[in-house]
Amino acid sequence: MHCAACPVLIKSELEDMPEVSSAKPSLKHHTVEVSGDFGDKTQEHIARDLTEVVKTHGYSVSVEKHRHGVRWSEFSLAVPIALAFIALFIILQKLGIVNLVTTANVTYGTAFVIGLIASVSTCMAVVGGLVLSMSANFAKEGDKIRPQVLFHIGRLVSFFLLGGVIGLLGSTFVLGATGTFILSFTVALILLVLGINLLDIFPWMKRWQPTLPSFISRHIHGLKEVNHSLTPVLVGVATFFLPCGFTQSMQIYTLTTGSFWTGAFTMSAFALGTLPVLALLSFSSLAIRKKAQSGVFFKTAGLVVIFFGLFNLINSLVAVGLIPPVFSF
Amino acid sequence: MNPTVVSIIIATALIGGALLLTTRSPEVASVDNVSVENGKQIIEITAKGRYAPILTSAKAHMPTTLRIETNGTFDCTSILRVPSIGYQKNLPPTGTTDIELPPQKSGAVVQGLCAMGMYNFTVRFK
Repeated sequence: MHCAACPVLIKSELEDMPEVSSAKPSLKHHTVEVSGDFGDKTQEHIARDLTEVVKTHGYSVSVEKHRHGVRWSEFSLAVPIALAFIALFIILQKLGIVNLVTTANVTYGTAFVIGLIASVSTCMAVVGGLVLSMSANFAKEGDKIRPQVLFHIGRLVSFFLLGGVIGLLGSTFVLGATGTFILSFTVALILLVLGINLLDIFPWMKRWQPTLPSFISRHIHGLKEVNHSLTPVLVGVATFFLPCGFTQSMQIYTLTTGSFWTGAFTMSAFALGTLPVLALLSFSSLAIRKKAQSGVFFKTAGLVVIFFGLFNLINSLVAVGLIPPVFSF
Repeated sequence: MNPTVVSIIIATALIGGALLLTTRSPEVASVDNVSVENGKQIIEITAKGRYAPILTSAKAHMPTTLRIETNGTFDCTSILRVPSIGYQKNLPPTGTTDIELPPQKSGAVVQGLCAMGMYNFTVRFK
């Protein structure tokens, strides 16, 4: 159980069984207290019967609580891989990839190239970090391809529509210093929590995982479904507003176009440019989740996401002048 | 060789490379980017992928103009912030932008940052 909606779902499923008179799931303790008339079945037999009912939603019931074991050995491979990835990220920044943009005229082609560059630039620390942590977390919970696809659809549609809107209005959603700070700081904290979560060493951190609040999810049917389809779409839409220099300067260019369609197509071309790298990040978790190395992969992803979180945290503090610059590229 | 050894070697090489590239201390501009026109000091800084030069020495007690040049700049450096004078502006992708600085005391430091904080430049006044 990982979401506020799960206990509601489990309760309703179990209480639909004729034998069960009441079921009290607890998200906090990952337990369910079931009472009812089961005849003379053994506890193990009852647990098997209960599992049959909730299995379709991805849960299982056992008599004993699952012991949580940390596989520290996986870190011996995860740490060097993560460090290599981080070093590669820093080297990429030092190479001056932004200098590949030589033209001042923004065509749809240029917007696409700028998107490609943005996806391996420091923006990756924000959007890429979010994509990696989200998809890895979903993959870990056994989700299939859907949440990932929904995220990318949400992102492309929002770039098309919102790009058109700022093109038409000639004004943009560029945030001031305080707004940027609050947003970067929040994203950094989310990344840190999701990253630590992926390491799988502190099970109690799961409680902090950002999901829909239970007062909303309680009133919606198909509860787990909503959480796993609405969340990725919303995150995809939200990436339009995330602090990333490239996205922001493309938006500023777009507002000078004064046309819905030019704006929409420019921002879409940019979003398509970022798609290959982002898709690679989100679908690699899917490809690997069933393999033996998946533990190493999730830990590596966790370490990288934690690095991105710290990177954003430090940069957001630097940008408001609270601490002197740490990174200078 | 087992994969652990291979990955550790690759990681060490990459980290070493990254450190070599990042730990170069910012030298004072080798190019002369400070000029004086009609009693006014002009400091030229280019913004693209980074601010260059990253460290500039300028004269104190003199009206000063920061002249930021952009040329096909679409990254974070185009969203410039100079906290000490409360300045924030989106620079045009290509062009020059002048920022007026009041005369600075000797020893004063003016810092420019991009809005997300990963690029910066420093001007020291003497």
